[in-house]
Amino acid sequence: MAVALVLLLAACAGGAQAPSEVPESEKYGGTAVVAMVQEAGGMNELFHDQSGAFLGGEAGWVVEPLFLALPDGTYEPRLAAEIPTVDNGGVSRGGRTVTYRLREGITWSDGKPFTAEDLVFTFDVFRDPDSTALVPVDYELVESVTARDQLTVEVQLKEASPTYLELWKHVMPAHEFESTAVTAEHPQARLPLGTGPFVFTDFKAGDEIALERNPDYWRDPDLPYLDGITLKIVPELEVATTSFLEGQYDTVFFFTTGDLPQLEAAEESGAPIVVETQETDSWVEWLFLNHSASGDPSVPHPVLGDAAIREAIDFGIDRQGIIDTVLGGFGTLVGSPIYSGAFDVDIPPATYDPDHARQVLDEAGWEPGSDGIRVKDGVRASLMFQTVSGDHTRELYQQIIQQNLEEVGIEMNIENVPSNIIFGGYEEGGLLATGSYDTMMSRDGNYVDPASWMASFTCDSIPNEQQTVGETYGHYCNPEFDELAQQAASTLDQQERTELYSQMAQMFHDERVAIPIYSSTWGWAWNLQLQGVSPDYWSGVWPSVAEWYLAP
Amino acid sequence: MVGPYVVRRMLQAIPLLFGISIIIFLMLQMAPGGPLASGEAQAAITPEKIERLRAHYGLDDPLPIQYLNWLGGLVTGDWGVSYDTGQPVLQVITERLPTTLALTGLAFAVSLLIAIPVGILAATRQYSVFDYASTGLSFAGIATPSFWFGLMLLYLFSFQWDLLPSAGLTDLREDHVGFAAVWDRTTHLIMPVAVLALIATANLARYVRASMLEVLGQDYVRTARGSGLPERTVILQHAGKNASVPVVTIAMLMVPELFLGAVITETIFSIPGMGALFVHSAELRDYPVLLGILVIAAVLVVITNLVADVIYGLLDPRISYE
Repeated sequence: MAVALVLLLAACAGGAQAPSEVPESEKYGGTAVVAMVQEAGGMNELFHDQSGAFLGGEAGWVVEPLFLALPDGTYEPRLAAEIPTVDNGGVSRGGRTVTYRLREGITWSDGKPFTAEDLVFTFDVFRDPDSTALVPVDYELVESVTARDQLTVEVQLKEASPTYLELWKHVMPAHEFESTAVTAEHPQARLPLGTGPFVFTDFKAGDEIALERNPDYWRDPDLPYLDGITLKIVPELEVATTSFLEGQYDTVFFFTTGDLPQLEAAEESGAPIVVETQETDSWVEWLFLNHSASGDPSVPHPVLGDAAIREAIDFGIDRQGIIDTVLGGFGTLVGSPIYSGAFDVDIPPATYDPDHARQVLDEAGWEPGSDGIRVKDGVRASLMFQTVSGDHTRELYQQIIQQNLEEVGIEMNIENVPSNIIFGGYEEGGLLATGSYDTMMSRDGNYVDPASWMASFTCDSIPNEQQTVGETYGHYCNPEFDELAQQAASTLDQQERTELYSQMAQMFHDERVAIPIYSSTWGWAWNLQLQGVSPDYWSGVWPSVAEWYLAP
Repeated sequence: MVGPYVVRRMLQAIPLLFGISIIIFLMLQMAPGGPLASGEAQAAITPEKIERLRAHYGLDDPLPIQYLNWLGGLVTGDWGVSYDTGQPVLQVITERLPTTLALTGLAFAVSLLIAIPVGILAATRQYSVFDYASTGLSFAGIATPSFWFGLMLLYLFSFQWDLLPSAGLTDLREDHVGFAAVWDRTTHLIMPVAVLALIATANLARYVRASMLEVLGQDYVRTARGSGLPERTVILQHAGKNASVPVVTIAMLMVPELFLGAVITETIFSIPGMGALFVHSAELRDYPVLLGILVIAAVLVVITNLVADVIYGLLDPRISYE
């Protein structure tokens, strides 16, 4: 993997113009125009969860985090002065007290100092029942937050937890608010103020969002190079892509794996663009299996409850065939549920072996019926197969999977629906929440820390009438798995966590809790006139924005 | 006499709009999925917060209460708050309304300017080459799906020949002033207006032709011709006025259709109007905004019907408003 990355970087340095050729003084000025396909209601990630809000949050254009995740799952301090550890006294012996020290001299883009008060305020907003901020789950562990001085914050955790570096990815400027009861109606919820290289100036709904250079960026007053960025909202991806290839936009937020073959072909035939891909595992397309009948985890699913069926599905899908025929080769195979981040577990994926799949079904007593679909004790091996409707690439490989599984005797009935029907809450009848599905295809799993991802396979994650909240995949309930998840989420010992996550990944794989199909190759494309663009492991090309400039 | 008639019609419209409001409110609620559900791989959010959001937006009230709250707000000018942007619905809609009205108005004007002369010419030269050609083109226009027509225009004029911009209403790379600004705006509007006007023009041309043909065959037209009036006067003044009566009705009823057609046009050409807003809000189940747009569309239908009836009476004295 490291070798691939080095080769990639070398190839990139050779292909694109070497930045050093452009004198520093000529990099300044100009406005980049970025097409944005999915408009967010607001650009503050704490109030809006559509993908577009990423550019107002984690991308680091306007708002910056306390700690920045590195490719290996460790962190470096950004707004913080150091990483709190037991050794430097930042974390107490028992792990329940964490002291965050902030870097000196950081200012908000309006010139006001960034202080410990802002961190305390942000936490108070999360705790205020009248605020409608979308509180990241990591804050549930926090008991109290106190400012020790201007630059020091002390946090008491309810129990020791390794996820304290996930706190304060987004800090709110206390001086902009009158109370902690902040709702989505507040102007800051639409266009947040931050410490980053750019400042939001205007948001014309359905049209464009304007950003201007922050003239006093704390990290380096000479950055950023661009005077501004215009985000043009283009609801149709096809229109955005074609206009981009024609040079109307400098880049598009954002391309997916399915767009890469078209982009690479355009680059080869001379379109003025640069395409770069990241050959590391990012978001995996999962086939989530429903382990329970009608949402009740005490009753196993009539078909999927049988381990033989799950094994046959695993061996019956021609994953490499999907990557080669539908994805133009852009994709990798993954076998482990924890495939990135600090606790990466390496498990090879099941090979495509339809004979093995048929044999497993034969041995388990699933006999082929007159139409070739297997039957056992009067139950037909027939499953509903769903994903978000309207994604053409997905529909193509959905049909391959359907075909593959039909060949081993399992019937998959494709019935795709809009995303809010799949991801709706329990009371809204969301398919995942209520367990009203058989198999569901969705992308997930790329986390710096796997704690919350693994938690969605525990018994506690399953909602019911008394407890309607919970985010679950698969209505899978295994006390042994829960025990491991609980231990891994409450110890600070990296060695111990590595061991626990490795056990969980193996158990997940052996039980076939969900079936990985492929890992998307991540890719970006930008116009040749936009330079200084470099991809970050976790967040793509977007965090490099301060170094972007227009070719003179 | 028109005054009391208009007042009476307006009063009749109130129970009608009331009924429409119940239907659209219930139909939206019946659609599967909800506003607090969202996409894949999103940041994890505590379930308690989702419950709080539900309470904040009044989604935990029983449906009749939700409806009455909404209706009360509608009457008093508080149309609710968008779940998506957190802004008042009236503000969200009024930001977008002028764009769509301008687009619809332009398309309507273009339709009239093309369809009326074409229809009249086709009628006066029945079975001529021009008549066959315009009839053929009209049917082609009626049969063309507007999303396909829009994409074809984009493909040819923007992507192949690079003559017209593909998105939005203004140039993002440069600020224009004076004549250049007008030209910039015009080039951005040509394709959307063409797509929007296509079906209306084709339909209208058919109606103008049919209506003219019917009138031209009548005795009074022959009398007018016989009395030695120039053909131009006969067609435009004598026949034209009577032929316009059914055309006015059809034309006015096309206004709400054009308004709804903006849904497709604005999405294809990335124009920040009500149509694009409707699609975006429908995807997110942003009920308050959807309801607001539907109410405006319903009011528009009622108003254009009324206007058609009033013009009808002005053109044809035989119609009385009793």
